[in-house]
Amino acid sequence: MSEGDGRIPLTIVGGYLGAGKSTWLRHALHVGDFAQAHVLINEAAELPVDHLLLAGAAGLTVLADGCACCDGATRFVAAMRDLCDRNVAAIVLETSGLSDPARIAAHIANDGVLARRIRVTETIVAADALHAAAQIGTEPLWLRQIEAADRIVLTKVDAAPPPLLARLAATMAVLNPEAVVSGAVLGSVVELPDTRGADPLPVLPVCGKSAQIRTVRLEVRAQAEWAAVSAWLSAVLQAHGNTLVRVKGVVRAPAGRLLLQSVRGTVQPPEILPASMTVTDEDNFIVLIGRDLDDDRISRSFAVLTA
Amino acid sequence: MCSACGYPAAPGHWTDAGAVTPGDRMRNRLIRMTVVNRILAPYRLNARDDGVIPGIQLSSGFGATVIVPDLEALWIEAARMARRPIDPLADV
Repeated sequence: MSEGDGRIPLTIVGGYLGAGKSTWLRHALHVGDFAQAHVLINEAAELPVDHLLLAGAAGLTVLADGCACCDGATRFVAAMRDLCDRNVAAIVLETSGLSDPARIAAHIANDGVLARRIRVTETIVAADALHAAAQIGTEPLWLRQIEAADRIVLTKVDAAPPPLLARLAATMAVLNPEAVVSGAVLGSVVELPDTRGADPLPVLPVCGKSAQIRTVRLEVRAQAEWAAVSAWLSAVLQAHGNTLVRVKGVVRAPAGRLLLQSVRGTVQPPEILPASMTVTDEDNFIVLIGRDLDDDRISRSFAVLTA
Repeated sequence: MCSACGYPAAPGHWTDAGAVTPGDRMRNRLIRMTVVNRILAPYRLNARDDGVIPGIQLSSGFGATVIVPDLEALWIEAARMARRPIDPLADV
């Protein structure tokens, strides 16, 4: 994690209703993760908050009655600005079960103050191992949450049989190939069964599109310029922002290596990676993750237009 | 900020990252315009970033010209001028 740019790191903890977000976060705070962080909890409906949460956090704010990604967005932005004014060391946001983490990241990117003060470091999404199999087929929102994740935590794994768990873990790898998948029971990390040979669960089409997620890796040639790559990528994101679920990459620029990340068309301000990290030739690439990506077409367009 | 037009209203666009010195910034702008014009050529549009007028000047073959603050706004405005989406992956 680079501390250089002075922005406040924000961790988004998301997941569907009843996925176990609070339980996971409570345990994480208890064992001392996010020790300096101010915790911001968003509830779609007014609910009492467990005071145990306070034990591990530097501070706690509850945003009840309104989801931070839609009808409560104004209040969410106001609360975030308030935290910026108080200059907290870090922020952990627990979203409501109906939030799309990508839209929350977009609200931050679109607000003039928050874009300068907040850096989204990680999106952690909890998925209920018992109900995930049913949610895959019926909940487009659940799918969007999984696709937006950097880290997926399968919760309540003690209640699910190991063969189902292996299939679930394999499904997550299909839905979001870049995310780290782990298992948890009441927040404690639990080893997941081997996914080799496990059949991913069938994923139904969402919004008429096939949900098959594909990954295209583009190598940036040494002589290619960041300015050319970013201009091309901005055009692709504008045209295909709906099908491109994520873009990740490390690209060399005049000022250093840039870490590039986007969720559904919204690009976070690229971070300059610390120079102390060893530079190798492999560290010059972009990965596009999305639905129905045409590998040949994308590689050809990239090669021709950025040459 | 330009006192005539009010740019920049938003923090630097993500494509502006990675250049710290004025020389690098100018170099980035020139390279960027080459790629942008390659993408716009099939749509009979042309973009200019001369470093004098703030923003990017986007012109159509019929002479209509619009100043846009960043690449995101440029692609939206270009699609409006061309009356179809600008798709760098399409065969045109």
